[in-house]
Order: sequence, then C-alpha cells, then structure tokens
Amino acid sequence: MGPGLTGYIIRRLLWAIPVLFILSVVVFWMLRLAPGDPIESRLGKAYTPEAAARLREKYGYTQPIPVQYVKYIKNLLQGDLGVSTRHPDFTAAEIILPKMWVSTQIGFFALLITFALGIPVGVYAALARGTFVDPMVISSWLLLDAIPAFVLVPMAQWLFALKLGWVGLRYEGVYTMNMVVPVLILALPGVAGVARLMRASVIGVMGEDFVRTARAKGLRERTVVVTHITRNALLPMITVIGLSLPGIAAGALFVEQLFGIPGIGRESLEAVTAPDFDVILALVLFSSFLFVMANVLVDVVYAFIDPRVRISSGRG
Amino acid sequence: MAIAESAEYFPPVEMARPRRWRTLRVLARKKIAVAALAYLVVFYGCGLLAPLVAPYDPNEQPRPLTLELRKAGPSGEHWFGTDDLGRDLFSRALYAARTTIIFTLVVLLTGGVFLGLGLGLLAGYRGGWVDTLIMRVGEVLGGIPTLILMLAITASFRTRIDDLRFWLEDHTWLGRSDAESLVRFTIIVLATLPFAWIGSARIVRSQALAIRESTFVLSAEAMGASTWRIVTRHILPGVLPLFIVGLSAGMASIAGAEVALSFLGLGVGPDTPSFGSLISQGAGPYTFQTWPHLLLAGAVPVVLFFYAWNLLGDALVDILEPRTQAPR
Repeated sequence: MGPGLTGYIIRRLLWAIPVLFILSVVVFWMLRLAPGDPIESRLGKAYTPEAAARLREKYGYTQPIPVQYVKYIKNLLQGDLGVSTRHPDFTAAEIILPKMWVSTQIGFFALLITFALGIPVGVYAALARGTFVDPMVISSWLLLDAIPAFVLVPMAQWLFALKLGWVGLRYEGVYTMNMVVPVLILALPGVAGVARLMRASVIGVMGEDFVRTARAKGLRERTVVVTHITRNALLPMITVIGLSLPGIAAGALFVEQLFGIPGIGRESLEAVTAPDFDVILALVLFSSFLFVMANVLVDVVYAFIDPRVRISSGRG
Repeated sequence: MAIAESAEYFPPVEMARPRRWRTLRVLARKKIAVAALAYLVVFYGCGLLAPLVAPYDPNEQPRPLTLELRKAGPSGEHWFGTDDLGRDLFSRALYAARTTIIFTLVVLLTGGVFLGLGLGLLAGYRGGWVDTLIMRVGEVLGGIPTLILMLAITASFRTRIDDLRFWLEDHTWLGRSDAESLVRFTIIVLATLPFAWIGSARIVRSQALAIRESTFVLSAEAMGASTWRIVTRHILPGVLPLFIVGLSAGMASIAGAEVALSFLGLGVGPDTPSFGSLISQGAGPYTFQTWPHLLLAGAVPVVLFFYAWNLLGDALVDILEPRTQAPR
C-alpha cells in the first residue's frame, strides 16, 4: 500500500462524513415533520391529551427540531442510538442488533447461493457466446429477477408447504428446513445479475494476450478456462460481492414479512408504519454507514489483490 | 431493488452518430428483444386505451352482490375472474397498467431526464468537487435499502394527505377523489425520485467525462462557445444512446417501486387500481390455493412487463457494448 492509496482511502472516508451528515439531517427533519404520530400510536386507546403531552416532553419532542437534532447527534457520537417509542424498555440498538443478526445469517447463505450459481452460469454463457444458448441462459434467469418477492412467496409457500408438504410455514429458527424456501427466494433472483456481470468479465478476459499464449502453448482447454480466464474474470466480482455485503444486514422486507422471520426487514416495516423515529433513523444511518465502509473495503481489497490498481489509485 | 444497480457495467464507449439506426437493425435481429418489444406495445396500448378496451368499469360492483359473483374464476364474461367485491379483474388490470404507465413516465421525466441527465452532465462536465459531491450522494443513496427509505418518506408524508387534499379541493377545480389520488400519487413519486436519478446520472457522467476530453470539445471551447452550447450540442448527442439504454434497464425497478408501495397499502389510493393492490388481495398461500386467479390476474401482466423491460435493456446493453457482442 503506497502513500497514494492511503491518501485515497482517507479521502473516501472523509467524504462519508458530509454525506452521512446530509442524510441524517434530511431523514431527521422528514420524520419530525410528521406531527406527533409515535406518541399517538404508542398510547393507542389510552390516548389522552395530558398523557401525550407528558410523553412528548419525556422524549423531547416538544423542543425545536434543530435542538432535537443536535441532541440526537451528541448521543449518537457517544454510541447511543436513542430509545424505541414502541418498546419503551429497549434502546434502538437493543432492538436492531439481534434482528440484524438473524437477517445477516439468512442473507449470507442467500448470497453464497447467488454467487455459487451466478458465476458458473456467467462463465457458461460467455463460452457459449454466439450460439442461441448464451442469450437463453441469461434470459431465463432474468425471469426470476422480474418476479417480485411478494408474488413468488405465496406461490412457493403453496407449492412446497401446502401441496407437497416438504416444509412448514412457521419460522422455527434460522437453521431449520423451513428456511430453505425463503433463502432460495432471496438467492435466485440475483443470479441473473451476477451471471451477466461475470459473462461480460469473462468475455473481456477471453480477448487478452495471455489467454492466447496459454492456448498457443498447448494447455488443455479446461485449464485455460479455469485457471487463466475464470480466475482473472473473478477480479471485478470483488466489487459486486463487497457491495452486496451491507445489503444482507439490511434484510429482506417482503420475504421476512411473509415468512414471519424476525429480521431487520420486518422490523423496519414495523418501525416505519408505527412510526418509531429513533429506530428508523438508526436503521437508515446504520445501513448507509455499512455501505460506505463496504465501498472503502472493496477498494482496499482490490489494491491488495491486483497490483495494477495500486499504481493508478489517484482516481476519485 | 436498487434502481441504480443496473448502471454499474456501462463502461464509457465513444458513440458515433450513424450507429443509431444500426442499433435498431441489430435489435430487430434479436428475437427475444422483438418479443419483449411486442409485449410492451400491447401493454402500453392496453394501458393507455384502458377506458376504451376495458369491458367493465374497474370500480363497478354488481348489485345484488351474490356469492357466485365474488372471487369467481376466469370465465368468458370475466376473463381474469372477479375479486372479493365482484369487480372485473381484467378491467382492473387494464387500469392498473395505466397507473404503472403514468407513474413510470412521470418518474422517468423528472428523475431520469431532469435529475439524472442534468446532474450527470453537471458532474461530468464541471468535474471537481461538484462531481464528487453528486456522485458520493448518489453512491450512498444507491447503497441504503431503497424500500426502507421510500417507506419512511411515504409514511412521514401520509399524515399530510388530508391537509393537502382539503387544500386542493378548496383552491383548485379538482374533486374529492381526484384530489386524493393526485396527492397520493405525488407522494410515491417523491419517494421514488431520490433513487431514480442515480443510475442514469452515473452513465451520463462517465460518458460526459470521456467526451469532455475530446478534441472537438476543446476546439469549441477555444472558439468561445458558451457552456450551454457545448453541453447541448457537443456532449449531449454522444451521451444520449447509453442514457436511453440506462433508462430502459432501470424501468422495471421504477415501476416496481410503485407496485411494492401499493402492495403495502402505501401507494395510490383505493379507488385507483394498481398491480400492487391487486396482488395483495391474492397474496397468501391459502388464498392462492383456493383462488389462484386473484394473485395471477395482477401478477402475470406486471411480471411480464418487468421481464420485457429487463430483456430489452439486456439486449440494448449487448448491442451498445461491442466488447461483449457475439462475433459474426
């Protein structure tokens, strides 16, 4: 890692501060402009103007918005994400973290399947370029990408649970048979995208001189494809993998909601409809923070793996 | 469902003008793309002409509402069957197509063309901190879970729906239900906009960056052409082809945003048919077991719509990026 790269990473990290700041201001103001709702929904039938006023005072919602914001940021910098208005005994972090862990595990397996399928499919399509197989392969996977989760889930639940009886519909933990269907529904739509990128990458590598050299020196086609073409074509996939990582912590709203999985996607839907200010803010800020970090991480990993990047790291 | 994601793999390609027709010719040779295009023509035709094509009023309920008229399966009278209230699902699907078309058009013009093209050109041509700021904001917006922020925006504006509706009723010629539809529609457009510009802006920017360095831009600058002239006459023509490809690749996710929000009941009002609300009536394994047509009537047309745009976008990317083209 040369000084150029370190400087580049620092610049990237510094840019994250104003961007996260702007985002936090916008989301904060937006949420506060919806007047008094969290208190009303919290109290429900017990709503009286006096009780509402007392709670608003307690949560500090009576203060001017800029004052609230400064207070929020001050707490945030000390690691305090605020409290939930729905579950007054828990802090926002206590609510989010266990659910994020559930989503991360499920999302991790889904991501693994996506890439385990997408990469070979992409290589296969690239090698079959010029025949009808190439467009057919990608196109058929694209169909799965076009079906929204909330359409796929009821159909899969009917087929695998009601008709075939292979799995149950209830959530019984991450490592149970019942999670096979949701993980597949999360994984399969992404295959087309990965395959498409991998295909383009393989085709790019196929034209390189070292591939011609490998063929010219009489290596077996299998060796050329696996060790020369595929290995080099995998390099750009680092970006795709790295940038998908923060997404798995954000969970999958529809799949979690429809399968009853207590993950972060479902939590965010509940937090937004309540609304639960501090939980929503924590969700948005935390996931953008993860994303910025993943971006930087991808750049660093690149520089370690591919020496060519280190030389021309001045971009951005 | 990041709207921006499809934009990642458009490397800057220098486009020459005469290739425009070649693109169409090559496109016509791709059978998949032609099939996709044909479906889209039917979809747009039916959607735009919904009032003429639809056999029934989409909100008309039969009176008296007997048990046989509710959730009836497909028949010669009702091609897609009827829903819980006995309304004709084929007519509702046609009107839902109209909702989708209007929504995508509005978001495309405001988010794609106005914001996407505008910010992309600004970032690419001005460069420097303007460029960095625009692209970093886009990067973060593209990275956070789109749906959650969209939900947050919709939820926080929803409490204002009634205020705005009353205001519109009092100050414009709009009637009660029109005013409410307009307000709800505006809210979901506003919720989609922050994410709709990123993909196209990224494509436009990288193209503009490449073209800015070319000699014809330099000579135009040397001759004292105004910034406006350089951008519109010299940079824009080179940017347009890939910009259009980017738009077509992003169509499915823009339309998907409305469908998802309407599925959650946060989209257009109950009087305006939408694929999202159609699907939500039939979603659920037991409902699907007993009345599969409830889910399929909404799902099939809109899934094919997404699929067609994806296929078309895929074909266009392939044509415009010679590197991945099939040898011939």
